[in-house]
Amino acid sequence: MSVGSSDNLLGALELLVLKALESGAMHGWGITLHIQTVSNEVLRVEEGSLYPALHRMEKAGWVKAEWGLSENNRRARFYKITAAGRNQLRSEQEKWESVAQAIALVLRSKALA
Amino acid sequence: MGWFSRWRARRNDELSEELEFHLAMRERWNVDRGMNGDAARRNARLRFGNPQVWRERMREIGWMTLPQSVLQDVKYGLRSIRRNARFTAVAVIALAIGIGINTTVFTAYKALVKRGVEARDASSIVSVTQVRESGQQEAQFSYPDYEEYKQAHTLAGVVATGQQFEQLIMSDAGGSSGDRKAASESLFSKWGLVPSSATASKAELASITAVSENYFSVLGIAAVRGRMFSEQDRKQLAAAPAVLISENFWRTRFGGDPQIIGRAIRLNGAAVTIIGITPRDFVGTSIGVPDFWVPLSLRPVIHPGDKSLKDVEELCCRLFGRLAPEASMDQVQAEMSSIATQRSKLHKVKDRKDELKRVLVSIASPFPRKLDSGLRFAIFLIMLATAMVLVIACANVASLQLARAAARQNELGVRISLGASRRRLIRQLLTESALLGLIAGVVALLSSWAMLRVMAKLAKDTLPANMGTFIVNVNPDAAIFTYVFGISILAGVLFGLAPSLESTRSALTSWMKANSAMAPARNRRLRDWLTGGQVAVSFVLLIAGSMMVRSALHALTMTTGYETKHVVDVTLQFPEGPEYDSARQNAVLKNVIERINARPGIAEITTGRPPDGGGLRSAAVAIDGAKAEAHNMKAFLFYTYVEANYFHALDIPIVYGRGFHAGAGTQEPTVVLSETAAQNLWPGQNPIGRTLEMNSDGNYHAKNELTPDGRAYQVVGVAHDTRGVLLDNSDAAEVYLQIPENRRNEFPTLVRTSIAPGQLMRGIEETIASVDGNIVANASTLEDMLKQTPPFLVSGMVALIAGTVGLLGLVLSAMGIYGTLSYMVVLRTREVGIRMALGARRGEVLWLMLRQSSTPVIYGLIVGGLLAIGDFYLLRKVLYGVGPLDVVSYGSISALFLVVALVASFVPARRATQVDPSVALRYE
Repeated sequence: MSVGSSDNLLGALELLVLKALESGAMHGWGITLHIQTVSNEVLRVEEGSLYPALHRMEKAGWVKAEWGLSENNRRARFYKITAAGRNQLRSEQEKWESVAQAIALVLRSKALA
Repeated sequence: MGWFSRWRARRNDELSEELEFHLAMRERWNVDRGMNGDAARRNARLRFGNPQVWRERMREIGWMTLPQSVLQDVKYGLRSIRRNARFTAVAVIALAIGIGINTTVFTAYKALVKRGVEARDASSIVSVTQVRESGQQEAQFSYPDYEEYKQAHTLAGVVATGQQFEQLIMSDAGGSSGDRKAASESLFSKWGLVPSSATASKAELASITAVSENYFSVLGIAAVRGRMFSEQDRKQLAAAPAVLISENFWRTRFGGDPQIIGRAIRLNGAAVTIIGITPRDFVGTSIGVPDFWVPLSLRPVIHPGDKSLKDVEELCCRLFGRLAPEASMDQVQAEMSSIATQRSKLHKVKDRKDELKRVLVSIASPFPRKLDSGLRFAIFLIMLATAMVLVIACANVASLQLARAAARQNELGVRISLGASRRRLIRQLLTESALLGLIAGVVALLSSWAMLRVMAKLAKDTLPANMGTFIVNVNPDAAIFTYVFGISILAGVLFGLAPSLESTRSALTSWMKANSAMAPARNRRLRDWLTGGQVAVSFVLLIAGSMMVRSALHALTMTTGYETKHVVDVTLQFPEGPEYDSARQNAVLKNVIERINARPGIAEITTGRPPDGGGLRSAAVAIDGAKAEAHNMKAFLFYTYVEANYFHALDIPIVYGRGFHAGAGTQEPTVVLSETAAQNLWPGQNPIGRTLEMNSDGNYHAKNELTPDGRAYQVVGVAHDTRGVLLDNSDAAEVYLQIPENRRNEFPTLVRTSIAPGQLMRGIEETIASVDGNIVANASTLEDMLKQTPPFLVSGMVALIAGTVGLLGLVLSAMGIYGTLSYMVVLRTREVGIRMALGARRGEVLWLMLRQSSTPVIYGLIVGGLLAIGDFYLLRKVLYGVGPLDVVSYGSISALFLVVALVASFVPARRATQVDPSVALRYE
C-alpha cells in the first residue's frame, strides 16, 4: 500500500525497508525477516514485491547494493542505506507521525451533531 | 552490441540468483518450523509471488526512471550553465566558431562542387564523357557524333551544349546607353579586376550559351513567357532564327519590357527574334546564367563560315541525357560505348592513345568529371584548415572545462557523498557538455546560414554580368542539419569526456581531504598537456596562414620581367562576316594604330600577346635538324608571336644576340628564345645560330591560326624570362616568333604610354569608335590583367581564406590560452596565500606563477614550430618567395602567444599576492 500526495512521499514498504536498514546492511531476505519479526508478524506483504521496491530505491540513490557472502556462505546482495536515504527516512518518519496523529485526532473527536 | 547483451544477460542472472536466494531461505525457514520439504517449498513460492511479475516490474522501473533522471541532468545542466554565464559564453563562442566554419565550408562545398544540374527530376539526368585510350577524359563531342548518340534507346532524350557565355556583339537592341552601362557594372570591374570594356556607341556585348533544340523539353523547363524552341523548330529556325532571353537579362537590360517577345535584335550582325524567356536564375547544366540561349543550329548564321555542325573532328559540345524509364546506368553505359566504338572509326587520330573508344556515363554535373588538380588541392587545404580550427575550438573548451572542473571538486564531492555513483556524475557532466555543444551548434547554424546567404549574393553580383551570372544555391538541407547537430553534440561530448573522467576520479578520491582545493598533480599535468597541444596546433595553423598571406603580398609586388603599369592591351573584336575579311581588318587596324600613335603620351605601339594574357600555345620542339616528332622532341615549350619592337616596348631585355628585324615578316625564319627555353634546349651552350623545328599537332589551337609548324627556325637571340600565367611558372620557357605583316589583326595591340594610362584609355576608346563604330575594343593595362592571372587569383583567394581562418584560429587560441591560464592561477590563490604566509616575497611568488604557466606554452611553441616546417612542404605549390623558415611569422606569433600567456597569468597572480594571506588561505 502506498500513501501518496506527492512524488516524494514514500510508500509504506519503502519506509519500512529504510528503517530496517538503518541499523546496518542486510540482504533482501534479512529485511523480510526483520520486518516480519519487529512488526510482530502483523505486516505481511507479498515477499517478492520487496525487490522492485529495492530497485526503485537504488535508482533514487537511497540505498546502495553490493554482492557479499551471507551467514551461511551463500552469495547474496546486500543493501546499505545512504546518507540521502537517511535524510528521506527522517523526513518520511515525521510525515507519517503527523498523519497518524491527525487521524487519531479525528477518530477521538466527538461527532458533530 | 555484444557487450550490451552480455551485460544484460549478466544482470538477469544476478537477479535470478538474488530471487533464488530469497526463496531458498524462506524454504529453509519453513523447514526449520516443521514443514516438510514439498510443503515448505510450495509455501515459499506462494508467499513470494510470481518471480516473473517482479522481474517485469523491475524492468519497468528501469525504463521509467531513465527519462526522469535524464531530465534531472538536463535541468541541472541548464542551471549550472546559467550560473557560469561568462564561462558558457566563451565556450559557446569558441565552439560556434569551430562548428560554424565547418558548416559553411561543408555547405559551400556541396553547393559549388557537388552540385547537380537544374532540371525536372535532376537525378535521372546523366552526363556522357569520352575516355581516350590513354585514360585521359574528353568531355566534348562533335556535332555529327551527337546526332548519332541522340538515337540511343536507353536515353529518353540527349541534349548538347556548346560553349558557355560566349561573347557576341549585340546590336539594334535599342535602349539608352544608361541601361548598357548599368548592365555591365559589377564589383569586379569596379575593383579594376576585370578589363573594362570600351564599347562603341552602337554595339555592346551579350553572352550566349548555345544548346540543342530539345534542351528545354528534355530538361523539363517551361518558358516564363513566350515559348521555348523545340525539336520541330529546326527547319524553321534556318529561315526565322529565334533565341531565348534569360529573365535576368530581360530585367536588367530591357527593363522587363512586356513587348520583348517577338522583338528582333542582331547578334554578330545576324538578325534573330526573341521568342521566349527562361526562368530567373535558371542555369540548366551550367553554373551561370547567360544573357541569351541560342539553338546550336544557328551557329553558321551567327558565325558565318562556321562548319562545326558538319565537322566530325571539331569537338564542340558536352552531352547530357535523361535516363529512359526502366533503363539502368549499366544499360546506358553499354549502349553509349557501342556507339562510341562505331563512331571512332570515322575519326582520324594521329596517335593510338588518343583514340576515343570508350564512354563514361555518370550523374550529371556542371563540371567535367575530373576537377583541376590545383582546385582539388585548394579544396583539400581549406578542409584541413577548418578541421584544425574545430580542433582548436574543442581543445579550448576542453581546457576551460578542465580548469573549471577543478573548482567543482567540492560540489562533486558532496554529490558523491550523497550517494551518486561515478557513472551518474559523468553522465551529468557529459550532459552539460552536450548542452553547450548543442547551443553552440544552433548559434553556428544560424550564423553560417547568414554568412552563406551573403556569400551567394556576393557571388551573384561580383562577376561581371557579361561573364554569365554565377548562381549558387545555398539553402540548408536535411543533411547539413544532421551534420551540424551531430558535430555539435560530438564536440560537446568529446571535450567534456576527458575533464569529466578526470574530475570525477579525483573527486572520488580526494573529496574528503581538507586541501581539496589544491589541484591534484595529475589534473594539472593533463591541463598542461592540453594547453601545450592547443598552442602547437594553433601555431601550425597560424604559420600556414601567415605564410600564405605573405606570399600573396610577394606575388603582388613581384617583378614580372616586363613593364605592366604603362602598357595597355587593346584587343579589337571585329564583327564577323565577309565584309570584315582579313585585309579589311588589317587596314582598319593600321588606321587605328596610326591615329592612336598621333595622340600625346603614347611612346610606342607593338603587337603580340602579353605575357600575362590568355591564349597560351605550346608545341613540341626538336633541335639541330631533327624533325619535330613525338620520339625525337627535345622539349615541350610555349610559343608566341610578336612584332619586332615587342621587347623594346615591354622593356624585356635581350641578353644575348639580337631581336627581330622590323618588317621582316615571313622572309626570315628566326626565333628568339627566353632564357629558360634556351636552357631547356641547349643546356649550358650558346644557342645563337642553332636551328629548331616545332610541331603543334595535338595541342590546342583554333582553325586557321598561325602555327610554327613545317619549317626550320634559326635562333638569333635570347630574352630575359617573364612571369606568365601558369601557377608553376612553366610558361617562362617561351619561343618568340615574328608576326607576318598581314596577320597582325589576329593578335592584341599593346600600347606603351609615357604617362599614366588612365585617361589615355578613354582616348583610345574614342579613337577606335571614330575609326569604325562596329568594332568592340577591350582595353586594359597589363597590370590589371596581371591581377586576374591564376597565380594571382589563387594566391589572393587562398590568402583571403587563410587569413580569415588564421585570424579566427588566432582569436580562439588567444581566448583559450588566456582563459585557461588565468583560471588556473586563480585556483592557486590559496597556494599563493600559503607561500606568502610562509614568508615568500611577492616577486618570488609572481615569478613562480609566471614560470609555471608559460612552460606548457613554450613547449607547445617548440613542438608547433617543428611541425610548422611541414607546412612549407605542404604549401610549396602556392607559395612565392617565402622560405621554409619564415622568421618573421615564427617570431611574431611565438611572441604573441608568450605575451598572452604572461598577461593571463600575471593579472590574477598579482591580484592574489595583493590579498591578505589569511584571506587567501580561506579562499575556496
